[in-house]
Amino acid sequence: MRLARALVVATAMAAGTAVADTSDALQWLRKIQDATQKMSYTGTFVYQHGGRTETSRITRLADPSGDIEKLEVMDGAPREIVRTRGTVRCYLPDSQVVKVDRASAERGFPSLLPERVTNLAQHYEISLGEIRRIAGYDCRAVVLAPRDQLRYGYRLYADVDTGMLLKAVTIDPAGAEVEKFTFTHLQIGNVTPAMVKPRDISAAWRIEDAAAAPARLPGWRMSADLPGFRKVVELKRRLGESRPAGQMVYSDGLAAVSVFIEPLDNGAEVRTGLASMGAIHIYTREVANHIVTVVGEAPAISVQRIADGVEYRPEQ
Amino acid sequence: MDGELDARAAEGTLEALLHDPQALEAWRTYHLIGDALRDTPVLSTGFAGRIADRIDAEPTVLAPRRLPPRAARPVRWPAAAAAALAGVALVGYVAFNTAPESGVAPAAPLAQAPVAPPAAASRPTLIPLPRSTPDYLLAHQGFSPRVSLQGMAPYVRTVSDEASGARR
Repeated sequence: MRLARALVVATAMAAGTAVADTSDALQWLRKIQDATQKMSYTGTFVYQHGGRTETSRITRLADPSGDIEKLEVMDGAPREIVRTRGTVRCYLPDSQVVKVDRASAERGFPSLLPERVTNLAQHYEISLGEIRRIAGYDCRAVVLAPRDQLRYGYRLYADVDTGMLLKAVTIDPAGAEVEKFTFTHLQIGNVTPAMVKPRDISAAWRIEDAAAAPARLPGWRMSADLPGFRKVVELKRRLGESRPAGQMVYSDGLAAVSVFIEPLDNGAEVRTGLASMGAIHIYTREVANHIVTVVGEAPAISVQRIADGVEYRPEQ
Repeated sequence: MDGELDARAAEGTLEALLHDPQALEAWRTYHLIGDALRDTPVLSTGFAGRIADRIDAEPTVLAPRRLPPRAARPVRWPAAAAAALAGVALVGYVAFNTAPESGVAPAAPLAQAPVAPPAAASRPTLIPLPRSTPDYLLAHQGFSPRVSLQGMAPYVRTVSDEASGARR
């Protein structure tokens, strides 16, 4: 009898632990998000993918009059990207081009809302992992294991004290690391406006403005949905030097896949097929005299399935 | 194999098994663990071969609709089909489990296993990154919820050497 009771208690405790583990992990995700969006910091990180390593510096100034974030590539040409609340500017000194992407008036850049974090549990099993020291910070691992093969898994390491993310690993369905971001140095606080100031550019630089605005793309649709991925936005924009394009974005709350639709330029040769870079897959195909390019941080099969689902039916 | 995945997910998994030695290894390991836990007796040598022979002897059951309906054996074929399916599954299963003895062997039985029905997405042609990769990435990145967990770091892909490499 006493044994039976002990068993019941033990079982209940085990179940309780599992639930507590998930909700603790979700709490950790909110903490990471909070730190990412509210803190000032500067640090150096390495981006590793497919045997390559690229080093960059990232600096963020939290400021009541508007946060500014700047990323500078440390190797090769000094490319940089500066993000303010509504605009991302990408400075490419080797081609003397600034690419500008603006959030639309109707909506800012979408973010993972704290209340949506809970929904992630539909597609990922979320749990806490070990504590590991990274760049001098004791970090807690938060593990997001996908519930199917249509998305990647993630292993995130966040500073135990502040929640600041120091390492993020993307894992494919076979368990291999496909991409890794790791801070090698991080300083929290003490960021001055001068540190996030964009570089000066001369009149010779060309500005490429994406001029993105939400719009319906008449006739374009998906013949089948990819489980868990929902359309979050549909817009018209310009790409590169000013090619008109449509864009539809699908997301499961963490991973996102974009569908770009561009009119086929007569005479231009289109290479159709699959390309990849780290966790990014790009699948190109031709549909109804248009080039459809699907870009996403998802396994090849997801990107290909979304691409294969794109169809055009003229509206009456 | 145990019906936990829907048809499309299963298709993806089997596709991965065909092309990814790591996935195949994981599959083997999990089945070995499963067998050990369940105390499954080891199958006799040549079991896979005998099953394969029997399937060879019954080629028509793989396309049951083409059989002319014959009154004499209306009940038999579903059972035969089920047996054949189980057999095919077993061939795949045994092939995975016996593979270490013969390095290259699994490829052949795998190719005959029902892993690539015509409905499956075609194998894509692998191509280099498109010339406009940085443009696509910049446009895409703005909508990735991941940025709210990681700040701007993922934007580094946009200006990555590899992404812009296509232009040089």
